[in-house]
Amino acid sequence: MNINKFFTQFGTVIALTLLFLVFAIAVPGFIESNNLINILTQIALLMIIAQGFTMVLIVNELDLSFANLASLSSVLVAGFIIHGMNPALAIFFVLLAGLAFGAMNGILVTKVGIPSLITTLATGIVANGFIYMYTKGVSFYSGLPKAFLYLGRGRIGAIPVLVIIMLLDLAVFHIFVNRTVAGSNLKATGGNSNAAFIAGINVKFYKVLGLVICSFSAALTGILLTARLGAANPEGGGGFLMEGFAIVLLGQTVYTVGRASPIGTFVGALIIGVLNNGLTLMGAQYFTQDIVKGLIIILAVVISSIQSKRMGV
Amino acid sequence: MESLRTEGLTKQFPGVLALHNVDFTLEKGEVHAIVGENGAGKSTFVKILAGVYPATSGRIYLDNNEIKFSSPREASAFIGVVHQERELIPFYSGIENLFLGQEMKLLGFLKKKAMKEKAIDFMNKYGLQLDMERPVSSLSSGMQEMLSILKILFRSPHIIIFDEPTAPLSIKEADILFELIGDLKKAGTSIIYITHHLMEVIQLADRVSVLRNGEKVTTMKVSDTNEQEIIKLMIAKDMGQQYPKTFFTPAQEMLHIEFYDSEKRSRAANQNQSVPNICIHSKEIVGFAGLVGSGRSELAKAIITGPCEDTLSVMLDGKAFIPRNPKFAIKNDIVMIPEDRRGEGLITSFDVKENLSFSRLSYLSRIGFRSEKKINSRCAEIIKDLSIKVFSPAQSVATLSGGNQQKVSLGKWFDANAKLWIFDEPTQGIDVETKSEIYRIMERLASQGAGIWFISSDLRELLAISDKIYVMYQSRVVGEFIRPFDSEKILQAMLGRNADKSAEVLS
Repeated sequence: MNINKFFTQFGTVIALTLLFLVFAIAVPGFIESNNLINILTQIALLMIIAQGFTMVLIVNELDLSFANLASLSSVLVAGFIIHGMNPALAIFFVLLAGLAFGAMNGILVTKVGIPSLITTLATGIVANGFIYMYTKGVSFYSGLPKAFLYLGRGRIGAIPVLVIIMLLDLAVFHIFVNRTVAGSNLKATGGNSNAAFIAGINVKFYKVLGLVICSFSAALTGILLTARLGAANPEGGGGFLMEGFAIVLLGQTVYTVGRASPIGTFVGALIIGVLNNGLTLMGAQYFTQDIVKGLIIILAVVISSIQSKRMGV
Repeated sequence: MESLRTEGLTKQFPGVLALHNVDFTLEKGEVHAIVGENGAGKSTFVKILAGVYPATSGRIYLDNNEIKFSSPREASAFIGVVHQERELIPFYSGIENLFLGQEMKLLGFLKKKAMKEKAIDFMNKYGLQLDMERPVSSLSSGMQEMLSILKILFRSPHIIIFDEPTAPLSIKEADILFELIGDLKKAGTSIIYITHHLMEVIQLADRVSVLRNGEKVTTMKVSDTNEQEIIKLMIAKDMGQQYPKTFFTPAQEMLHIEFYDSEKRSRAANQNQSVPNICIHSKEIVGFAGLVGSGRSELAKAIITGPCEDTLSVMLDGKAFIPRNPKFAIKNDIVMIPEDRRGEGLITSFDVKENLSFSRLSYLSRIGFRSEKKINSRCAEIIKDLSIKVFSPAQSVATLSGGNQQKVSLGKWFDANAKLWIFDEPTQGIDVETKSEIYRIMERLASQGAGIWFISSDLRELLAISDKIYVMYQSRVVGEFIRPFDSEKILQAMLGRNADKSAEVLS
């Protein structure tokens, strides 16, 4: 393997490593195991929701609705439980609603033929409307049972349940995309939907599948968000949109430039997590963090696009 | 007086000599037609004149001054080309399109009124009636064509090249175009007219040049020749002799397509003629000839992707087959190798291995999980079997040569045991050596019992390896030809001459 190719494939991972080393040396307390677990806990929800969005990018569509859907799921699960529904049942219904939401996105995109960007912009706004219809703008604070909160706050040994869920989620997505027929068909659909269609792949189904997985992940994230905070507010998932996009874009620079992948998204999430954590420990103000994050994303994408042009990918 | 002259114009593409030593002259105020088979070099010639390609060697003189265009933009001031694809902005009005890039301005503001007056004056000069204020997209395609011609005239070029201008026009619009060309000629404009329709040559042109295999065969005065002679000149003498075909005895009938257009059928019955049915047998290579736009690919694609027009019925192995989607076609053992390799045949972001396996994964997996072992061994087999030149199965397919890409595109069906293989222009842009490899692959498939549906623009290869040839013209099958082929009659049918008589030839 020549050096050029090595940097194209592992440049982002090297960047993460360097970033990690810099903070490890410069910031006292960064390298402590507690803090490392902290970083993983901080990125867990973001990574879970971004894995879903990764599937949408793999089928070459877009989704702008997932953050609002996460907020909606967060308030719905809280509301259901507070109004006396069995938590397991509440989780089940909310996940089901997530599937239905994704299916609706998928049908609008594939059957009705509205571009996914517009479809999900609109359905995201609709989801936002439902949030305020259901909550009247008020947050849910109390009345969530311990068993439910365990999902977001519990630990198994030293490891938070949330981190375990994240790692399981990553493993499932990685195996799904790289080891299953359905995962290959997703990639073929996104790679060239005409060729995939002529070759007998039901491309509409796989586009719907990508959007459904994204919405399902958003619903799951909303539920976990409520369990973590012990509360649900109408804007709870709002931050996921920008950060989700950011880490998936960062992830596209991992290994194969321009292609989203579960591992890439995980690396992207780690970069953002390490940055957030390191800068906070250094005492940087929140606006500095945003500026640094934005610049790093631009840098990563610029470097990888230069590399891919040189490789003629 | 000469307006344009080329000397020894030659264009070499990798592996293909597209144009060889073409000497050509265009007199002032003359309409000079250029005819030739598909691939004879007409469009290469036009593209060199229009500055799209540089010539490999040779000279171009404009009014006796040697010129070299480095871009189409530079050429457009001297030579205007009316392409089949119109270069208009659909949501702009006719006036805005006409003035595009040379708007009349005062201090940065558009002088709309002045522009409108000038546009309408200009239009009237050529006796055209177009609504110049409506968005171009709301005009008929004939009107759009007129407008794009007007736009080219507006830039007052010395020479105008018409490249198949009548293709999108109705008969009435074509008449207007012919009148316009007559007016231009009277005004002293020199015109190069490229066409497949020999009628138009006879009707319009002063002289005609025939291209064949990239060389100019001859230039004649139209008054000294006729359609018959022109067709003879267009056909190469060695047609059908460059590849030794292996013959198999066709076995049972596999695919049968019947056309029944209620109206036409009754008419046909009256005249005691009928549209030939398409019939493909096992072990048979069936060629489909026709000009670009004759509906060859569309018919084949309809079989794969569905839905078919209700004016035709398809029988597969004696049973009715209603095309639905590619998945359904594949299930019925019909596969297609599309013309557009990069757009439809391959996933260019995938490596060779993935391209060879993505369509067959359900057979290369266990309970939904990919079996890398099966995938690897199958890919290794196909790569060896088709001698695809790669240094590793993990090589990106985008880096392969056209011929190797085509082998990957068809290799993906190699374990499918398909009965009917549709090859749409399988040898386009492929070097000579790989071309004969592709022919051998098709023959091998036929020998194993498959039926081959072989679409090509290259009449020579159709004549060389087909057992039978259907000719399509304006979305209809107009002729069926069996060996020994009469290339002259086939070409006539392709050009739409005596379309109905050629159907008689077989009976």
